[in-house]
Amino acid sequence: MRTYILKRVIEIVPTVLMITFVVFVMMRSVPGDPVVPLLGDAYTEEDAIKVRQAYGLDKPVLVQYVIWLGKLVQGDWGTSILSGRPVLQDVLVRLPVTLELIVLSMVVALVIAIPAGIIGALRQNTWADYTATSVAMIGVSIPEFFIGVLLLLLFSIGLGGWLPSSGWVYLPGTCPMMVCGVSLWGNVQHVLMPALALGVGRAAILTRLLRTSMLEVIRTEYVTTARAKGLAERPVVLKHALKNALVPTVTVMGLQVGFLIGGAIVVETLFAMPGLGTFGIDAIIGRDYQQVQGFALVTAFAFVVINLVVDLTYTFLDPRIRYA
Amino acid sequence: MRANRLVVGLAASIALAIVFAGVTPAGAQKRGGTLRVAYGNDILGMDFYTTPGYEMVWVATNVACGLVSITPDGKFVPDAAESWTISPDGLLYTFKLKKNVLFHDGSKVDAAAVKFTFDYVLDPANRANMRQFLGAVHSVEVVDPHTVQIRLKQPYGFMMHVLAVYRMGMIIISPAVTQKYTPEERRAGKPEALVGCGPFKLVEWVKGTHLVMDRFDKYFESGVPYLDRVVIRTIKDPVTQMAAFKAGEIDFIADFSADHVDTLRAQNPRAQIMTGKETTPMVAMMKVTVPADGKPLSKDRAPHAIFNDIRVRKAVACYGMDRKEIVKIAYKGQATPWLGIIPPGTIDTVDVNHMCPYDPARAKALLAEAGYGPQKPLTFELMTNTEKSVFSVIATVIKEQMARIGVTANIRLVDKPSWMTTSTQDGPFDMYVEDLASLLTVDQNSYLSASTAAWNHSRHTDTKIDDFYARYAREMDPVKRKAIARELQEYSADKLYWNTISGSPFYQVAQPWMKDYVYQAEFKVLYKRVWLDK
Repeated sequence: MRTYILKRVIEIVPTVLMITFVVFVMMRSVPGDPVVPLLGDAYTEEDAIKVRQAYGLDKPVLVQYVIWLGKLVQGDWGTSILSGRPVLQDVLVRLPVTLELIVLSMVVALVIAIPAGIIGALRQNTWADYTATSVAMIGVSIPEFFIGVLLLLLFSIGLGGWLPSSGWVYLPGTCPMMVCGVSLWGNVQHVLMPALALGVGRAAILTRLLRTSMLEVIRTEYVTTARAKGLAERPVVLKHALKNALVPTVTVMGLQVGFLIGGAIVVETLFAMPGLGTFGIDAIIGRDYQQVQGFALVTAFAFVVINLVVDLTYTFLDPRIRYA
Repeated sequence: MRANRLVVGLAASIALAIVFAGVTPAGAQKRGGTLRVAYGNDILGMDFYTTPGYEMVWVATNVACGLVSITPDGKFVPDAAESWTISPDGLLYTFKLKKNVLFHDGSKVDAAAVKFTFDYVLDPANRANMRQFLGAVHSVEVVDPHTVQIRLKQPYGFMMHVLAVYRMGMIIISPAVTQKYTPEERRAGKPEALVGCGPFKLVEWVKGTHLVMDRFDKYFESGVPYLDRVVIRTIKDPVTQMAAFKAGEIDFIADFSADHVDTLRAQNPRAQIMTGKETTPMVAMMKVTVPADGKPLSKDRAPHAIFNDIRVRKAVACYGMDRKEIVKIAYKGQATPWLGIIPPGTIDTVDVNHMCPYDPARAKALLAEAGYGPQKPLTFELMTNTEKSVFSVIATVIKEQMARIGVTANIRLVDKPSWMTTSTQDGPFDMYVEDLASLLTVDQNSYLSASTAAWNHSRHTDTKIDDFYARYAREMDPVKRKAIARELQEYSADKLYWNTISGSPFYQVAQPWMKDYVYQAEFKVLYKRVWLDK
């Protein structure tokens, strides 16, 4: 097991490097030059050449990547071409916001999906199942931004400002800047709508998946045996059936993290949240290469690590799974 | 005060809409409070003299001070200077500085600081974006600690505009602080590196998060500013802006989407919605020349395959384009259909719409004359970008209008950097839709449309346009200048190097409790006299 974990941890490095390299090359392949917006209406070709030289943008892409990598190894994530701000500093400011959003979105998804999936399976072909399945189908079909706008209209405008429409308030002790709104209740208020907007779609997917898994598991012999031995329905479902049914769900949860990061871009933009999603999209739109690399590095790392955690979770859910 | 005598006849022609919202009598203002501002776009950087974009300018003009400022009706008023004179030949500007002007670090603003500022901007190594406006400056000399003289090479009718309002005006920078910190530190918004002499001092800027400015208690005008603090956040989505406004989470939207004004008005009947005659042109720019040697920006130019032919330009953009219909559909009628190179709200603008009446039959005849018709249909690419949804709407209407005259316009939707790179770096395009920079004066447009301008996206090579601009800039008589402006606009409309469709409306929105804000379009967003009545 230890060897397996070590092997997987080592694998993270080439995987993340490969992702950052692909992003690096792709960003330089798309049209658009960060020097043009940087110089704005004072643009001259002479100045553009000087700026490109200053940022090493005149060098071959591979050389630029090696330079970026060399600095990264020394802890230098580079500085934003457009704003001049250190990329790592901005990533650290924004990472907690997106982490909280993603974690809470997943919590929202699980809080909805687990009961709905179980009820749908146990009450198959009843009104409860049909309701769970239909709600799941609707949830899958509605994009995050649409749910977000509906929530905004309802809670921020319709109900006279029950929930704040935008911005962010940090949890006590987590403000990474000089000036922050800090309050536990304020944080909850600010994260609720974005987490719902992002979590509902994921809940729908997980509900359908869990229902299917549960349907398979509750028909297996060991569940029948447990019931025949007189075990109460609750431990049969929660202790024996659900644990095994969760294996494919957990796999998909890991993969869903990628979608959550993508969804965070939309939701953070809609709710004007200062998270990594808006950081990433602004970087891509501005062709701010250094900033894009910072975004790619963090998201790739997060995705790979979460999937490692997911793989390790299997051993807890199903003790028969052993990694050599 | 000589200042009033030096105002060069602007009052009648300046077409900024002014919303004074009932300026409060002195003493009635309430001090304190935090003004919460929403911007629709991010501040890109904080180095006053190199960062592009209005968002930074709207900060710089609150953090820094200049020699003079300008009122909405075009009067130049003192800022750090208490008075000024201009020599009869228009070549020597002498400014007397106020003695109580301090930078935020407590050091004095003196003539040496003013000279340092000019020298800094004029040094090409600093790539200051104001440098392009200082071509007429010969030298800046310190006469005594509180007197500074600017000597020009030739008369320039817009020197005061440059000092007061072009971009952010010539804001004064601290020599000590500028030398101590790097341009990167300024760009990154390090507060110690951005010491100004304006009413607010920078506390913190975190890109994409917020910008905070606090009242500068030693500001040279006693009693102002009234606000304790200004907090600026970026809210890009207009729906979220409206929700935040409705919920009272923000006091002021510095740039609000024209598409959503009616909805916001309906939701907030007491909101102060401010706008005026448009000072930004919405254009359908046609490329006139291409590099003959295939090298972008080459001086060796060849005719563009389609739009170098004036008959085709006139068929497509003059008689074949129904500007009224475009405005009706794209702006729900809330913009001015416009042909002239200078937007309807800019000084010395002239309505030349009559030169291009919508006439599809005439357009078809011109196309036939140019060799296009059913046997050889004209097809061109219409590039637009995703920055504003209205661009795509306009492109779609143009496509439909082109179809009516037998022309196919293939829309290519790109993102803003792709458009900017293609257009600025002489990339391949036939026509693009975009709104360009806001113009207070005709003179400002020379930086976008003279044949030598980097932003001359059509890449026309007609030096007659340059001559118009040069004559206009050097002419000190406002009446004669107006005549030159008319000539330029008629000539430009005839040649269609620069094809305007309409004005591009600009809106600002304030809560009813935000008092004494004075609307000056994109040119000035000042919080100095703003106070909160709540």
